[in-house]
Amino acid sequence: MLKYFVKRLIMMIPMIVFISFLVFVALDLTPGDPLTAQFSPESISGLTHEQLDALREEAGLNDSLVVRYLRWFGGVLKGDFGYSIQTGTPIGSIIANLLPATIYLALAALVLSVLMGLLFGILSAIKHNTIIDYLSSLFGVIGISMPEFFIGILAILIFAIQLKWFPAQGRTEIGATFWVNLKYILLPALSLGLALTAALTRYTRNSMLDVMNKNYVKTARAKGLSEWKVFYRHVFRNALMPISVLICLRLPMLIGGSVVIEQVFGYAGIGSRLLTAINSNDYQLVLSIIFLLSIVSLLSSVLIDLITGLLDPRVRYN
Amino acid sequence: MSENKDILLSIRNLKTHFHVRKRVIRAVDGVSLDVRAGKTLGLVGESGCGKSITAHTILRLLPKTARIKDGEIIFHSRKRQPVDLLKLQPSGKEMRGIRGNDISMIFQDPMSSLNPVYRIGDQIVESILEHENTTRAEAMERALEMLKRLSIPSAEKRIREYPHQFSGGMKQRVMIAMGLICNPELLIADEPTTALDVTIQAQILELMQELQRQLGFTIILITHNMGIVADVADDVAVMYMGKIMEFGSKEDVFLRPSHPYTRALLKSVPVLGNSGRDLLEPIRGSTPDPSDLPEGCSFAPRCDFAKPECGQAIPYVDVGNGHLVRCVLAEGREVRDGQ
Ligand SMILES: Nc1ncnc2c1ncn2[C@@H]1O[C@H](COP(=O)(O)OP(=O)(O)O)[C@@H](O)[C@H]1O
Ligand SMILES: [Mg+2]
Repeated sequence: MLKYFVKRLIMMIPMIVFISFLVFVALDLTPGDPLTAQFSPESISGLTHEQLDALREEAGLNDSLVVRYLRWFGGVLKGDFGYSIQTGTPIGSIIANLLPATIYLALAALVLSVLMGLLFGILSAIKHNTIIDYLSSLFGVIGISMPEFFIGILAILIFAIQLKWFPAQGRTEIGATFWVNLKYILLPALSLGLALTAALTRYTRNSMLDVMNKNYVKTARAKGLSEWKVFYRHVFRNALMPISVLICLRLPMLIGGSVVIEQVFGYAGIGSRLLTAINSNDYQLVLSIIFLLSIVSLLSSVLIDLITGLLDPRVRYN
Repeated sequence: MSENKDILLSIRNLKTHFHVRKRVIRAVDGVSLDVRAGKTLGLVGESGCGKSITAHTILRLLPKTARIKDGEIIFHSRKRQPVDLLKLQPSGKEMRGIRGNDISMIFQDPMSSLNPVYRIGDQIVESILEHENTTRAEAMERALEMLKRLSIPSAEKRIREYPHQFSGGMKQRVMIAMGLICNPELLIADEPTTALDVTIQAQILELMQELQRQLGFTIILITHNMGIVADVADDVAVMYMGKIMEFGSKEDVFLRPSHPYTRALLKSVPVLGNSGRDLLEPIRGSTPDPSDLPEGCSFAPRCDFAKPECGQAIPYVDVGNGHLVRCVLAEGREVRDGQ
């Protein structure tokens, strides 16, 4: 199992190289002086034309594409993404500042939607074809069909502006108490996770109903196990395999959704920063963030393999 | 059908119906039979005639849409007072204490009857730990012993393997081991070999008989195959559209078949005397819609000897020595179902 997983991680390397190369070529094609993307504004302001040319030669900007790519990729591996054209700050530090907040938001959304999605799904499977089941499938349809920004705005209007239960905008800094944290994160996390919650509710319900009809569940009952043991040892345990795959498949969407949700909630994270970067033609920053987000997607696909391997012996033993 | 000390299970006038979209499917519609302790009862009939539903009713493992309309199933266990299984709560403590412990069941399709995510050993042990106060290690020891009894090669290694690593025949052996692990009094085997190769079928049946001799449990063997019944059964119940058409010892039913359906069934498959000599004759027509059964004898529309009286309620007739037949042509002492 470990060997398989390590192999899977190693197989990721060429993918990362390929994506990074695409990103680099795209960067290379963007308009603007590449010098401003590699040096801080202070260090190049006041230099003469000749000095800039010399710097260009020295920085290797006249080298071939491949050589420049390798140099750039080497920097990226060390966390050196160059400089934002717009603000002149190192991209590495922008990411280091904002990425944790986005990961926190996405994780909160993930945890909330997994808990709620499983709960609603299990309930409607157990009570299937009752009012509970119909309500939860209605919720599923609504959750899947409504775009995140709409949910977010609606949530702000109702729960922040009308009811004043939660703050409408912003996020906490490190060190805030649990309750303050919860107050700020709950609305954006719920809005971000709603689509996943809805998808999980339906998927959990259907997987559970599917497994309930399996012959091995009848075998479990024939052993004299209580309904509860049949349920968690045999039904839920087996339904968990497809459910966990769905969760991992949806992880990149959660990250993608954070772009919009951060904007709506004025939440300072990498997603809202991506939007401002796009608006101000900050290509260097845009591509660096996209590169990071695609790595996250890639990692979640490896995570799918890891989890299915852990949960399903048929996969584990090939 | 008299009360008798060596009767383990006695079913009277059992009716299990399904209500599907306003239609009533009378899957089991007045089944009465006795299962003798330590013997093998062959429950035989064409597919769809209600054999599996009868078995599931005994263990109270019916789907939610099923309704038990009438009847009783008295279980004369050596370990407890006689109990009417139909009076117990399906998922209550008492019924669960019987399931897998006193009465076990193995199913037609061994491929899908084992949970793919647990090791074989763990799945067998689950029954023991549910019904007895033992340690896991002791239970595992017993599971291993049982696997060896079922001649599973290198059982020490295989007990730690997963279902997908077993062939169909080996899986069915595991299912039998699972069924027998708590030393039940009754094993219900629902078409245990139908999904298997012919050569493996014989091995499994032989193994079951051998274990029955060693351990002394009773078997209800459900099959649509008269040949299998001829090989392994002591008593035979011939079922058609929810009713037992003929019931008796294997000799009575095979040598003196008294119901036209039994005779038709015997002629349609190669069994005992007729193999090779007589031509096989499929039964004329097909089984009727179970939600729209004819009054009286449901076999009448396919029967060569049908008479107008067949449209009325047909009583059970004892044609001698507990050989019971439900047919207007049968002559003998009439028995009421509830008797
Ligand atoms: N869950 C169910 N819902 C409705 N009808 C059913 C259900 N299960 C079985 N039946 C019907 O009950 C009858 C008997 O089925 P079964 O006992 O499985 O037959 P078999 O003798 O082949 O084992 C069939 O007509 C079948 O259509
Ligand atoms: Mg069946």
